[in-house]
Amino acid sequence: MTLPPPSASAPAGHALALTGLTRRYGAFTAVQDVSLSVASGQFLTLLGPSGSGKTTILMMVAGFTEPSAGSILLDGRDITALPPERRDFGMVFQGYALFPHMTVAENVSFPLRVRGLARAARDAKVRAALDLVQLDRFADRKPAQLSGGQQQRVALARALVFDPALLLLDEPLSALDKKLRGELQEELKALHRRIGRTFINVTHDQEEALRLSDRVAILDHGRLVQQGSPLELYERPATRFVADFLGRSNFLAGTVREVRPGAMALLAGATRVVQAVPEGAPRLALGTPGLLALRPEKITLLAPGEAADTEVAGEIAAWSYHGTGFSLAVQTTDLGILHVALPAWRAAISPTEGMPVRLGWPADASVPVAEDSHAA
Amino acid sequence: MTGGYGAGRFSRGIAWATVLYLVLPITIVLPVSLTDQRFLSLPQEALSLRHYANIFASPAWLAAIGQSFGLAVVSTLLAVAAGTLCAIGCWRLSRRASDLVRVLMLLPLIIPSIVYAVGLYRWFGKLDLLDRFLGVALAHAVTGIPYVVITVSAALAAFDPRLEQAARGMGASLGQTLRWVILPRIAPGIASGAIFAFIHSWDELVMVLFITSRQVFTLPRKMWDGINENLDPTMAAVAMLLVVFTLGLLWLDGALRRKRAA
Ligand SMILES: Nc1ncnc2c1ncn2[C@@H]1O[C@H](COP(=O)(O)OP(=O)(O)OP(=O)(O)O)[C@@H](O)[C@H]1O
Ligand SMILES: [Mg+2]
Repeated sequence: MTLPPPSASAPAGHALALTGLTRRYGAFTAVQDVSLSVASGQFLTLLGPSGSGKTTILMMVAGFTEPSAGSILLDGRDITALPPERRDFGMVFQGYALFPHMTVAENVSFPLRVRGLARAARDAKVRAALDLVQLDRFADRKPAQLSGGQQQRVALARALVFDPALLLLDEPLSALDKKLRGELQEELKALHRRIGRTFINVTHDQEEALRLSDRVAILDHGRLVQQGSPLELYERPATRFVADFLGRSNFLAGTVREVRPGAMALLAGATRVVQAVPEGAPRLALGTPGLLALRPEKITLLAPGEAADTEVAGEIAAWSYHGTGFSLAVQTTDLGILHVALPAWRAAISPTEGMPVRLGWPADASVPVAEDSHAA
Repeated sequence: MTGGYGAGRFSRGIAWATVLYLVLPITIVLPVSLTDQRFLSLPQEALSLRHYANIFASPAWLAAIGQSFGLAVVSTLLAVAAGTLCAIGCWRLSRRASDLVRVLMLLPLIIPSIVYAVGLYRWFGKLDLLDRFLGVALAHAVTGIPYVVITVSAALAAFDPRLEQAARGMGASLGQTLRWVILPRIAPGIASGAIFAFIHSWDELVMVLFITSRQVFTLPRKMWDGINENLDPTMAAVAMLLVVFTLGLLWLDGALRRKRAA
């Protein structure tokens, strides 16, 4: 037995597939050979640093930018050549793009007016959309009279009011302060769950990507570097770039010295670093250089006599306190500076600069990653 | 100590001299228009409004005013329609193409109007547009276009192109986008352009001298003839009315700009 859809009349979200999508500006390639698919009702986030081609991809999906190569399939149908006004996607632009000469209600009613809906039907839908984003009291205001967060919600209401099967969001929360952004992220996520439409969100905020998405696609220099669920990406980054961009990582470089079933060991100077190798994972050959990524929160402070798969001694070079925890930068001889995140509550030490410490972590804490192909 | 960088005494002096130079001719016309004499002169014994009364009693002056007004309205409508479409077209085209078109559109401002008038004279002869209302309206409309292109382009430069994308992304056709999004945003620019095009037609003389004779007799033409033939102070009164009318239009333009800025 299957659950009924969220609303009986509503069509399910569109499934979208991009194949070999490329966009060149003269000699410069802004987006290179990106293939991606989003299932119906999924929340996909395009994540990447500034200039990595996120907006360009979204603009190609929306139809405002013509791909130089590749195609866009909507529910299996090729829409690459379809003009934007015939795609029927809802879109929230970077900076919202609300019509300043119209009231909130007129803004939200715009897509309905375009579709030739009668006044009464329009008003009812507009009211429902404004209710959804909790802005019903502001219907008669102009956008300039609203706060940033309220404008963002108007933009969202306007994108949702005509019940599009696919919603495109270009950094919808980037202009907001941290607290408001957090609230709106929750609202966005709840909304997505409630209406069951397909969402494609663009952001360079990795925390937002992890919190909201079913899937995250990570872009760098116009290329798709890795895609997967937030958990997959965070726990098993494929490259140095992903490990560094999504959360923070220490990078451990060494030479492969031992290979056994299920594990291997790298030698970095005199330090032996043990790395678990899960079943089916590609293994590194003996004698080749290897690179591991290690999250700061997976490193623990070893008590005297306590043992771990990998152990390294060093002294605290710098530290800071964040309320929830301490951040330590520990200078080691073989592994350079290691960043350690330590829960503050009942911490075993109160850090001081120059304090000698012993660090350790289990074999499955770190992951082997590839160097970036275009590394400078 | 005074804050900021105040203007020096010298530059202040130059500024005021310039203002005086610009305003002085008008301050002379005003007393002349109020003269109690029957020829162009300063008032001798008393101020009089008789020359103002003269204007409204004279069918010739009233006809000239009416004709000028009609011409200004028609040519403004034509200039606004063509100039606005041109500015929007340039805005949507690539930068190189639009720069070229924009320079072309400014030609009527760059070429001396007497040269333009000679050219018009030759062409209008062939087209049978000499001394016709339509001919003058077309001439004024074409030379009025630059004002509209300039002001509308300025308004479009301030227009956020994402608004157009947003409209189209929501399914609006080009016509709907134009009507509901672009035009309302650039309306103050269009109004400014219309006001300048109107003023341009309203006091244009050189072309009118070339392409009209008897049928079309505009207000500037009537004043010109008046100055050449007799020294009737009614002219000064008309001139004052023109000044007041033009100032009124400029004030309107300023008010519209302030409203846009608000
Ligand atoms: N019209 C254009 N002409 C030339 N280059 C362009 C154009 N549009 C974008 N680019 C280039 O393409 C690259 C990708 O741009 P894009 O706007 O997609 O980046 P982004 O990932 O959205 O960045 P941000 O996070 O800063 O918004 C950039 O290097 C940009 O300079
Ligand atoms: Mg962008």
